[in-house]
Amino acid sequence: MLVVTVVPQDVQVRARAGESVVDALRRHGWRSPYRCRRGGCGACRARLLSGRIRYPLPVAESVLTPAEQAAGQCLPCRAVPVTDVVLDIGPHPLRAVLASTPSPDPRPQEGL
Amino acid sequence: MAVIRLGYVHVRVTDLAQARQHYQETLGMDAVHEEDGRVYLKSWDEDDHHSVVLEEGGVGLVKFGYKVTADGALDAIESKARSFGATCERMSKGDNVGVGDGLRVTLPSEHVLELYSDVDYLGTRVGKLNPDPWPRDLRGIGVPRINHALITTEDPALLERFFSDVLAFRPSERLVASHEDSDLVGSWMSCGDQPHDIAFVKGANGKLHHFAYEIDDWSALLRAGDVMSMDDVPIDFGPARHGITRGGTIYFFDPSGNRNEVFSGGYRTGPDFRPITWTMDQAARGINYTHREIDQEFLQVVT
Ligand code: FES
Ligand SMILES: [Fe+2]
Repeated sequence: MLVVTVVPQDVQVRARAGESVVDALRRHGWRSPYRCRRGGCGACRARLLSGRIRYPLPVAESVLTPAEQAAGQCLPCRAVPVTDVVLDIGPHPLRAVLASTPSPDPRPQEGL
Repeated sequence: MAVIRLGYVHVRVTDLAQARQHYQETLGMDAVHEEDGRVYLKSWDEDDHHSVVLEEGGVGLVKFGYKVTADGALDAIESKARSFGATCERMSKGDNVGVGDGLRVTLPSEHVLELYSDVDYLGTRVGKLNPDPWPRDLRGIGVPRINHALITTEDPALLERFFSDVLAFRPSERLVASHEDSDLVGSWMSCGDQPHDIAFVKGANGKLHHFAYEIDDWSALLRAGDVMSMDDVPIDFGPARHGITRGGTIYFFDPSGNRNEVFSGGYRTGPDFRPITWTMDQAARGINYTHREIDQEFLQVVT
């Protein structure tokens, strides 16, 4: 698993494969600044200080321009780490939350 | 002459397949047409060809349409819009699939507004002869129809004047800076007997805050929330009651981050309705009467 570090709060969590930065933080009980969690509003905008990310789903250029991306800005709600990453999410404090991941598949599992 | 209602909202979506999943399976709209990276959708209790258009590429509002009466209203509106100083052009049949000739106006807020009276009639899913109250095969929330849109503008007073002078809308509720300062921050305006058919708050020009679907009542709202949870839809806030309009609400996001709302109830207005005033210090109650607190970002986050 990849290590996601956010500063200046200096919180470290581990991201599962394919999990966005915001989802990894939520799963560990941290609510970072976000609104839509779908890459549309820019409320989560952060700076990638080190490491690499990818966007499995397209992000609108009106929300994050190629120039902003080149300058190190990213949208943590859609950005999935490819390596260990360090992100500056701004001085806003992280809020401790209990967040549920999507409902599990209700179909009974084989062998249970 | 009169504007009847919000007819359609045309939005951009980053991924058409995901958007279809949301609007068709979670909200329960039906696709009526698809071409060139666009899907046209209709809710079950709507008569006209479509009420939502999804266009692949980006996020936010392309344009929206209001249906007007067919008694020469378009000509009257065009001359009023021109004397107001707004840019307008005639739109032709086929510019929008299923929609006939009409008028395209650029609002003082830079949004593109289309007005039309001629539109293909597809009919509701329960029909007009001895109908059932709802179709048996609804999917997801099963939204019956769209209801209103909220947009942002740098100059709310100017846009309010446009909607009242050119389109004969009336303000139902007005949000002003304070008791001493009557500077307009937002306005909720009606063209019929609903508390609002259009609303706008101060913000960047050309942006969409949300568009809303009407649903029956508070219990439908709670059930809508259940479906959203099943489908992992990000909720902005709600279920809660609005002070402004007195409606019930859940705000949520589509898979591209466009904000949607399900809205229930609200009072009736009419030509003799005297506008209600809210002051900014009470805006949190106005927007979320239940919690009396909203994040500052709620008004700023738009697509
Ligand atoms: S929270 Fe809206 S873009 Fe990330
Ligand atoms: Fe609304």
